[in-house]
Amino acid sequence: MIWLTWRQFRLQAWVIAALVAAIAVALLVSAPGLFDVYRDTGMAACTGACETALDAFKSEVGNSAYFAVYLVGSAAVLLLPALIGVFWGAPLVSREFESGTHRLVWNQTVSRGRWLAVKLAGIGAVAILAAGLLSLVVTWFAGPIDRAGDFGRVTPLLFSARGVVPMGYALLAFVGGLAIGMLTRRLLVAMALTLVFVVLSQLAAPYGYREHLVAPATSSTGFDAERIASLWINQANQVHIELTAPERSAWVLSNVTVGPDGREYSGPVDPTACGRAGGPDECHAWLAQQGLVSEIEYIPSDRFWALQWREFGLLLVTAGLLSAFCLWWIRRRVS
Amino acid sequence: MSDVVTIEGLTKNYGRRTALTDCTLDIPAGHVVGLVGPNGAGKSTLLQLICGLLSPTAGHISVLGAPPQSGSPRVGFVAQDTPVYAGLTVAEHLRLGAHLNPRWDASLADGRIAELGLDPRQRAGKLSGGQRAQLALTLAIAKRPELLLLDEPVAALDPLARREFLQGLMAYAAENGTSVVMSSHLVADLERVCDYLIVLVASRVRVTGEVEELLGTHHRLSGARRDPDTIGPGRHVVAASHTDVQSTLVVRSSAPIEDPSWSVDGLDLEDLVLAYMSEAGSSGRDRVLEKR
Repeated sequence: MIWLTWRQFRLQAWVIAALVAAIAVALLVSAPGLFDVYRDTGMAACTGACETALDAFKSEVGNSAYFAVYLVGSAAVLLLPALIGVFWGAPLVSREFESGTHRLVWNQTVSRGRWLAVKLAGIGAVAILAAGLLSLVVTWFAGPIDRAGDFGRVTPLLFSARGVVPMGYALLAFVGGLAIGMLTRRLLVAMALTLVFVVLSQLAAPYGYREHLVAPATSSTGFDAERIASLWINQANQVHIELTAPERSAWVLSNVTVGPDGREYSGPVDPTACGRAGGPDECHAWLAQQGLVSEIEYIPSDRFWALQWREFGLLLVTAGLLSAFCLWWIRRRVS
Repeated sequence: MSDVVTIEGLTKNYGRRTALTDCTLDIPAGHVVGLVGPNGAGKSTLLQLICGLLSPTAGHISVLGAPPQSGSPRVGFVAQDTPVYAGLTVAEHLRLGAHLNPRWDASLADGRIAELGLDPRQRAGKLSGGQRAQLALTLAIAKRPELLLLDEPVAALDPLARREFLQGLMAYAAENGTSVVMSSHLVADLERVCDYLIVLVASRVRVTGEVEELLGTHHRLSGARRDPDTIGPGRHVVAASHTDVQSTLVVRSSAPIEDPSWSVDGLDLEDLVLAYMSEAGSSGRDRVLEKR
């Protein structure tokens, strides 16, 4: 059974292995240069605010090949689960149904449950391995740039492309594709639906449950003109103010500036101070007298690993339940 | 001799569509059984129920004394259109069989492939229909099953490949005493090889029995036109056709028919099966076969 699994899987396996290897090699080749820049600009040794080192590092890396490699690597980690789901998971059972070969293989001396269990375990392990290796190299390479960039790795843009969660997404995509293929019995339909499934599974975390996996931090500080991140005033003199979060690379969940009544402050502002007549300084001075408080809820970057392991665990449990369903279905319901 | 398959009140529905209705049947061991019926009669469904790929909606099946289960070492199955893995070579198919079947007979499999002149390095997708069927049969028999099921194995083959396939099958069955159940919608395919017949029409079993016995107990009567109901006790009218002056009946009767008003002929297997097919084709209890 293991031989048959490998024989039927080896082409898809080599294609994706070659893809992962090519990206890993590109990252490994670029890494020494990037780490040199990281050290030479003083970023590596710096622990405080590091304004000068940060600017030097950004100007060195910003338009270099390192940044291109960084983007490609991050994109590859995000795309790998989709490839695994569509090309490893979806065809696994649906192709047998389409060619009728399930009637051949299930009449050898092997039960349907065992046939599926070997494929599920074997290819699932390879999926975890591929995603784990790629994520390991990308996470390591991207460390300096993640630290210097405007988005921390705990933010949704980078979180799913770092650490251990890519392994969970890869496994879920594989099992999900397999289940969809088993239910639809049509190869192309299964591949299309699997793509949708993988995209939804990756969007569900940042837009749904991820922020509930760890307790967020909150900060409540008085209005400080130095920390203004955005300030909008419209024709009706209504205002929208956001201050910067206490930590630059945190994932900001909500950012509101409230007035003395405890509700979101929206003005109206004094047109003489904040209208066309007054300059920004007058407006800031006027706003400072309004007793405004900035309330920010955020997930600090030091919760990164706690969040990673919890989301990874959740993905593993989901993939496990889905696998159990597949094994039950193939024994009971499938012809 | 004992029965390889016992079926009681078996019904299979696909959603609202009925594929098999209240089927009760015993298949004795040691026979080459022909399962014959028109397309859509439920032959594939019955075979897949016996090998455990489908589970019944109602009723009971016992195969070799146990409930059917796919993956049993004792039952071999060659599915309709003889599926094989297009991307795997002939040799890899044999390797698949060797890996997945503990009772695999490698010398039988290799010998058959050599005898057939198949190139082991050839991909199965490039084989002709006849070669593909032979490969599927080789996989099924090298597993050394006690019961071999074949679903329309020769339907897509040309006459020569058909004859070669059936000869190979017969040689194996005769040598090993394996029970074989083979379906076809063509009686001619079964006539040469089967010694037991099951006629399945419109999801019901119409008649079963040994071919010799069936041929001996079915008669074609022709004579002056009369009502088929007056034929007498112990005689069952399978099919009847009438012209203005003449009636032709197909009658099942274990006793010889010695009525001088009829001229009595024997039937060949094809006529017999056709009589049962047309019986079901007519509506309700009306067994008149219009043949103008």
